[in-house]
Amino acid sequence: MNAAVRISVSSLRAHKRRFAGTFLAVLLGVAFLAGTLVMGDTLRASFDTMFGNAAGGTDAVVRSAATITAPGEGQGVRRPVDTALVAAVERTPGVAAAVPDIQGAGQLVGANGEPVGGQGPPTLAGNWIDDPELNAYRLAEGRAPARSGEVVVNRGAAERGGLEIGDTTVLRTPDPVDVTIVGLATFGGEDGMAQVTFTGMTRQDAERYLTARPGEAAGILVRAGPGTGARELVDALEPVLPKGVEAITGQELAEENTDMVSGRFLTLFTTFLLVFSGVALLVATFSIHNTFAIVVAQRTRENALLRVLGAGRGQVTASTLAEAAVVAVTASAAGLAGGIGIAAGLQALFPAIGFPFPDGGLVVGRQSLLLPLAVGVVVCLGSALLPAVRAGRTAPLAALRETAVDRSGASRSRAVAGAVLGATALAVTLTGVLASPSLWLAGGGALLALAAFVVLGPVASTTAVRLLGSPLARLRGVTGGLARRNALRSPRRTAATASALMIGVAVVSLFTVFGASLKATMDQTVSRSFAGDVAVSTPSFGAGGSGLSPRLAPALDALPEVDTAVGLGRGVAEVEGEGRALTVTDPVALARTFDLGAVRGSLDDLGADGIAVTEKEAGKRGLRTGDTARLAFTDGDRETFTVRAVYGRSELAGDYVITREAWAPHRTQDSDTLVAVTFADGVDPADGKAAVERAAAAYGGPDVQTRDEYARSSAGGIDMMLTLVYALLALAVLIALLGIANTLTLAVHERTRELGLLRAVGQTRAQLRAMVRWESVLVAAFGTAGGLALGGFLGWVLVEASDGASDSAFAFALPPVRLAVVALVGLAAGALAGLRPARRAARLDVLRAIATE
Amino acid sequence: MSTTTVTTSTGTAARVADAVKVYGSGDTAVRALDGVSVTFPAGRFTAIMGPSGSGKSTLMHCAAGLDTLTSGAAFIGDTELGRLDDRRLTLLRRDRVGFVFQAFNLVPTLTVAENITLPMDLAGRRADAASAEWTDALVDIVGLRDRLHHLPAELSGGQQQRVAVARAFAGRPDVVFADEPTGNLDSRSGEEVLGLLGRAVRRMDRTVVMVTHDPVAAAHADEVVFLADGRLVDRMESPTAERVLDRMKAFDGKGAPS
Repeated sequence: MNAAVRISVSSLRAHKRRFAGTFLAVLLGVAFLAGTLVMGDTLRASFDTMFGNAAGGTDAVVRSAATITAPGEGQGVRRPVDTALVAAVERTPGVAAAVPDIQGAGQLVGANGEPVGGQGPPTLAGNWIDDPELNAYRLAEGRAPARSGEVVVNRGAAERGGLEIGDTTVLRTPDPVDVTIVGLATFGGEDGMAQVTFTGMTRQDAERYLTARPGEAAGILVRAGPGTGARELVDALEPVLPKGVEAITGQELAEENTDMVSGRFLTLFTTFLLVFSGVALLVATFSIHNTFAIVVAQRTRENALLRVLGAGRGQVTASTLAEAAVVAVTASAAGLAGGIGIAAGLQALFPAIGFPFPDGGLVVGRQSLLLPLAVGVVVCLGSALLPAVRAGRTAPLAALRETAVDRSGASRSRAVAGAVLGATALAVTLTGVLASPSLWLAGGGALLALAAFVVLGPVASTTAVRLLGSPLARLRGVTGGLARRNALRSPRRTAATASALMIGVAVVSLFTVFGASLKATMDQTVSRSFAGDVAVSTPSFGAGGSGLSPRLAPALDALPEVDTAVGLGRGVAEVEGEGRALTVTDPVALARTFDLGAVRGSLDDLGADGIAVTEKEAGKRGLRTGDTARLAFTDGDRETFTVRAVYGRSELAGDYVITREAWAPHRTQDSDTLVAVTFADGVDPADGKAAVERAAAAYGGPDVQTRDEYARSSAGGIDMMLTLVYALLALAVLIALLGIANTLTLAVHERTRELGLLRAVGQTRAQLRAMVRWESVLVAAFGTAGGLALGGFLGWVLVEASDGASDSAFAFALPPVRLAVVALVGLAAGALAGLRPARRAARLDVLRAIATE
Repeated sequence: MSTTTVTTSTGTAARVADAVKVYGSGDTAVRALDGVSVTFPAGRFTAIMGPSGSGKSTLMHCAAGLDTLTSGAAFIGDTELGRLDDRRLTLLRRDRVGFVFQAFNLVPTLTVAENITLPMDLAGRRADAASAEWTDALVDIVGLRDRLHHLPAELSGGQQQRVAVARAFAGRPDVVFADEPTGNLDSRSGEEVLGLLGRAVRRMDRTVVMVTHDPVAAAHADEVVFLADGRLVDRMESPTAERVLDRMKAFDGKGAPS
């Protein structure tokens, strides 16, 4: 064995405990990363299997070639095909069977009256296809629907809804349809396609309830005859199909679906998690660096002795690095194993809590194996590099000096560099926020600000700790005073320890501030734009549900308590060649229930060929009232509309408004997303709300909310998101705490004699423990204060930059209670981190401490 | 026999009876103290001498409540240390015992003044007029008035030891234990520190027990007790450096049997 390696291995063996914190930090960071990647792999593979199963025995699919996608929409809307085409397809050589595939949204109501599946996974309905090869679902029990009103549902949905064969319930399409369950189906051997609910009905029912016009289907599923391959089948079909209709193989469809899910949902999901594992690893970098720096400082004499005995600089550096490498490799490997374990655990957990994740075995890709290992090793070695080089620079003479503990802190050059960095950060950020709004500039400035905080840490730590600790010295007497001075001993070390926590707290407060601002923004939007008394809506997140019945608004309008009830439906069309979302409504009533800002022209008379546009969109396209715009609909029709009104506010009403009359010829399955209601004069709001609730009960009992409630529920998704973010950041904070605990343990070790002296002259164990704990709290307080300041600033930057860079107005809000909670958690975390080092310090044998060397 | 010391010795500041201390067990067991009984009278300056490994430091540690005896008993005044738990023992050290160690006597983050009052501060005791006056007098005696707000690192070794002496007497303890207090000092600084200890005993009626291997240091004491192989082998009243040296040489010859 090489000398450097031998030295480092024996040193590791002798100081196992010192590296326990480093080991854990690397392990946790790598586990998070590996867990994310493996979960991504597994989900991707499961979706693959799922869509493969769905395509099953389908050899080819005939469908429209074009889709129209509005900005921000996941999946475009595809134009339906004419079911008359089925006959032509059937006649094509090589075709064994062809059936129309009618699809739409349909939510079952469970035995308890609650909609099955809530707002989570998609709730689908379609025609039950009798050809088992072409149907992804298999009949498991009962029979296929034969008469109108009979349906087959997937077994999972039936179980969740407490429904059995023979039960009668309501299917919301979103119009309520009475249905009787006659059969239960399975999907690929499972009780369903993940958590998706499916209701299969007769073709006639499907055409009647799920499509705008009979004779339309989402596509035609084709099975090849014996001896015909899928590719040959597609080639044979192409000549038969009219313009704008295409044929693809079942395989291609499955791949397309998988790509869509991985491209949108999965990529978003894994990127989101990767960002947080990045934060955790960044925090880990600080605590690892700190540990090695302290260990090297403590080992100055030992390294100097090696140098005296003839070890070269490189050998001393190499031995330190080799030590880091051993920790890096073992911790990364353990982290990888842990990550795979986490992924397996989550896979088991998610279905149990009803999360819409598909089943299937755990899949670990090669990248998911190698990347976490590489990242772990690089992070650990990279963090140890500087301390290792410093170890190599140890002068042989240091062996003769009293152990020198690093007391250097704020060098002048550091202060200057930090100040310059801070000023640059501020300048760039303010430019990005105020002068020429740009998220990129603001983001760059934010990163610079982070760097400035880290660089300035040691400069600030002396003042900050002195300040934060002054009440401590007054309140806790000599114990507090000693704790404060211990925290002040090595400003650089204190700052490095606190930096890890600072980053964690900064990210937490950034999200807290941003979340609060988003909520304030929504609140402002609703209170500014919504002029109605109550809103009837489905929750604003989740892919499930089927929206509100278009018959709800007229029903509410007819109530004596109600002055106006207007439903807002969604449509999609290409405006001048670009996909845009349309708001389908009664414009006259819309103007009464929403504040649309300044309106030029008139909304009173849009008719079947008129359209209203927001100022912003009109400006972008150079449209004025009286101009014409060409709209292309999903049914392939192109029509010219006249702009009859231009209005100011788009937040709730959307960018384009057309009448139901104009939309009717091109409509797809109809549903409203929101019904706004104003009460008649003199109606008590509570009475009015009760009346609306009674009337809405027949339509699935959607939420009826006052303006305030509506604003609050619009923001509900933000709280859910914040909770998730907090959970993910908990790991980074945990790693920061390990860092504090580790630094303290090392410091306690370093101060063995001093602690022994204190005990000898009368410091009780309790006092000693309190002293170490308070030091920990002080370091944490410094980190937390820095984190709050940095996070608050970054939150402001993010909000203001979003405000400047996007069309909608953002409101900035500082949530004092939440931030106070963050601060308290930071301090409590500090106290927690100090527990173990304090206990260890208190266990110190007085005599041994005095006798050391 | 010196008349000045005998007249002031009225009671017992500390004593050990049949003290046995065994380190380790089985074949590797070492009897550091092998049945020592010794009394340290109040108001006297006693030196414990003996060659390396004679058990003199162990005796001091056990008598001062820093270490526990395997068998036998140790007393500070009338308090038997063996009956005290760690907390009571700590409080006893804080309130009734003073310490001067060979090195590392001061907490590096505290100033000279803070180091001197450390035991009282740990007790959370408010300085009353009498103790403030006493501390003030101590500062003058050790000659560090102009250094009160300095950190230990800014003092010389001799000055640091003088601070330690001031700290040891600040709480007016029953007894001050000094463990080789001059071991790290040059002879002039050492002389100063020993002078301070002697003056504290003779002029201010304090009690000092000092472990040393230096005959010159031992000569400052009123009485020297000699330890060898964990046993008390001799006592000498009114020692001089020459007599102590002779005595030490004597049992270097016959005193290394087993």
